[in-house]
Order: sequence, then C-alpha cells, then structure tokens
Amino acid sequence: MGANIGNWLDERFGWRSVWEAIFLRKIPHVNWFYTLGSATLFVAMTQGITGILLTMYYVPDPARAYDSVVYITTQLPMGWFIRGLHHWGASAMVVLTVAHLLRVFFLGAYKYPREVTWITGVFLLLVVIGFGFTGYLLPWDQRAYWATTVGTRIIGVAPGIGEWLLRVARGGSELSAVTLARFFGTHVWILPAALLTLIGVHLYLVIRIGISAVPEKDE
Amino acid sequence: MTPAQDKQANRRDFMKTAIVAIGGIIGGAIGIPAIPYIIGPAQQKDNEDWIRLGAVSKVELNVPTLFKTTLETQTGWVSSEEEFSVYVLTENGQDFSVMSNICTHLGCRVRWIPDQDGFFCPCHNATFAKDGSVVDGPPPRPLDQFEYKVEDGVIFVKRG
Repeated sequence: MGANIGNWLDERFGWRSVWEAIFLRKIPHVNWFYTLGSATLFVAMTQGITGILLTMYYVPDPARAYDSVVYITTQLPMGWFIRGLHHWGASAMVVLTVAHLLRVFFLGAYKYPREVTWITGVFLLLVVIGFGFTGYLLPWDQRAYWATTVGTRIIGVAPGIGEWLLRVARGGSELSAVTLARFFGTHVWILPAALLTLIGVHLYLVIRIGISAVPEKDE
Repeated sequence: MTPAQDKQANRRDFMKTAIVAIGGIIGGAIGIPAIPYIIGPAQQKDNEDWIRLGAVSKVELNVPTLFKTTLETQTGWVSSEEEFSVYVLTENGQDFSVMSNICTHLGCRVRWIPDQDGFFCPCHNATFAKDGSVVDGPPPRPLDQFEYKVEDGVIFVKRG
C-alpha cells in the first residue's frame, strides 16, 4: 500500500532519481575533513531557523532593539537558548567556512573542473562575514554600537570613494536608526537571498561534478 | 551475498540509522524549545496586582465617586502608562462597590451625571443606574465590578 503510493507519487514527481543523484552518488574514499562543507551547511540551516524565531520578537529600532533582546533573553521561555544558538552558531559559521576553505585549498580541490565551485565558495565566505558584521549591530548595546562605528569607519578609509561608502553603509554620517534598520534588512533579507542563491549553485556543482579525491603523493 | 557485500550493507544501514538519529536529536533540540518560545507570551499571566486608589474617606455616601490613577503596564518589552478610572460607591461607609467606567456595550467611558442620578455613555446614549445596572440603551450587562480591599483607610482594587 505504502509502496504503491510511493510509486504513484514517484511516477509524477520523479523524486527517486533526484534522491539518488544527491544522496546515492559515488564518492571517492575521503577523510573527515571532507565533512566540513556539510557541517557549514547544517549550521547555516540552524542559523536560518533560530534567526527566523528571533525575528518574532526582535524590533530593529534604536528605542526598542535592546529591550526586545533583553526580553528574548530573560523573559521568554527558552529565549536564551534560541538566541544562544544563533549567537554561537554565528561564530561556528565563520570558523567552519574558513576551515572548509582551507581543506579545499590544501587538498587542491579548487582546480579544474571545480573553479566555479571555488569562486561561489569565496563569495559565500563574504556573505557569511557580512552576516556576522550586520548581525553584530542588532542587539544595539555598547559593544554593538562601537564595533559598528569602528567597522564602518574602516570602509571610510578606502581611497577616493571611502567617505561616500561610509555614508552608504551608515545611511548618513552617523550611526543612527537608519543604520540599524538597514543592517537588519541586509541581515534578514539581502544576505539570506544571496546565501540561498550561492548555496544552490555551489551544491549543484558539487553534485554535478562530484567531489575530488585526496591527492596522491606524486600528483 | 558475499561476506564483503553483507558487511557493506550493514555499514550502510548503520549510517542510515545514525543519520536519522543524529538528525532527530538536532531537530528536537531546536524544534522542542521553539514551542515554548513561540507560545510563551500567551501563557504569561496578565498583571494581577492591587492598584492603590486613595483614601476611603474621599468616598461620599450614596454618590459614585471617581478615582483616577495612572497604571504602568509592561507588555513584552514596552512599558506604557495608561489612565485608570473607577467609580466607588458606598451606602454605609463599610461596604463598597467599585465599578469600571468602561461601558459594557463597546468600551466607551461612562460618566456619572449627578442631575440625572445615573451613569451616561456618550457613544450610544446608554444609561446605568447608581449601582451599575443597565437602565436604558444597548449595553448587554451592568458595569463591571472590581474586587477591592481596604487597608489602613486606603482602598485598593485588583487589576485584571
């Protein structure tokens, strides 16, 4: 009965071949360092889920942002846990992404035919750093405020257009309500959209080309 | 099936089980806390404390007396102040009835009109008697009564 329904659905969806292509593909004999990419992906998923949960209470307004974060952490049942996961997951994202990048680099996995996978991966690293930078401001406490003051000031030292870029990043000359709102919008809309698109391409290439084997001594 | 294939199959089954188990643990670790996290604010009890109205001696005999105070309310991360008014009525100086000034029809504020010996609601011309019962108009029930207590000559009402 169950098998019949499965067959009936598969005739229409064709999901078995998709499942086989994704999960039953042949891979070379590799080591544990090859799991870093998957680890990054799964932490990214928990960041997405906990982040969505946080937006149910967080308010991106200077008058209320800090109070709403305190409310999440101290008043809500399990709020400390959800926020804690998102907080530590953010650090884990950066560590795992860099570790994954180092694995690919040192094992030469970026070479033909995987150059585009590498390039999308580099952009993914930038997106992850962007998440970290924009997310850091959102609690709107002293550390967030001054870290972003310094961080955006760094943009300002770019030659020529630095001052202008600084104003774009802050939405004016000073850190303000505009800064907080645009960092929030970037953190929850622009960067997730970029992340999903890039992960889509990245994973498509990983599945289409397959992963590289550990190089031999004389390779 | 050769022993090698058999071993291979077992390994595959083990990995499948391990993936499902670990995935289940991770899913549960996030999914289960998410439930109290989402429904938490609905479960919280509304503020239930005693509101200080003022000296009992201010209540006139047989005349509903208005007491006004400001209430601080904390909803989520926002604390706000709101005006809170009630009418207190006593016939013997011992037993009181504390009535809400909110019309039971659609929530407008009622006002005591001494000349007409009744509460009047400006929204739909409802009138309530001195004891809060409906005299005329659309309200479905008498004015709401508050629980009260008197301590050291000061009257308090229970919020909620």
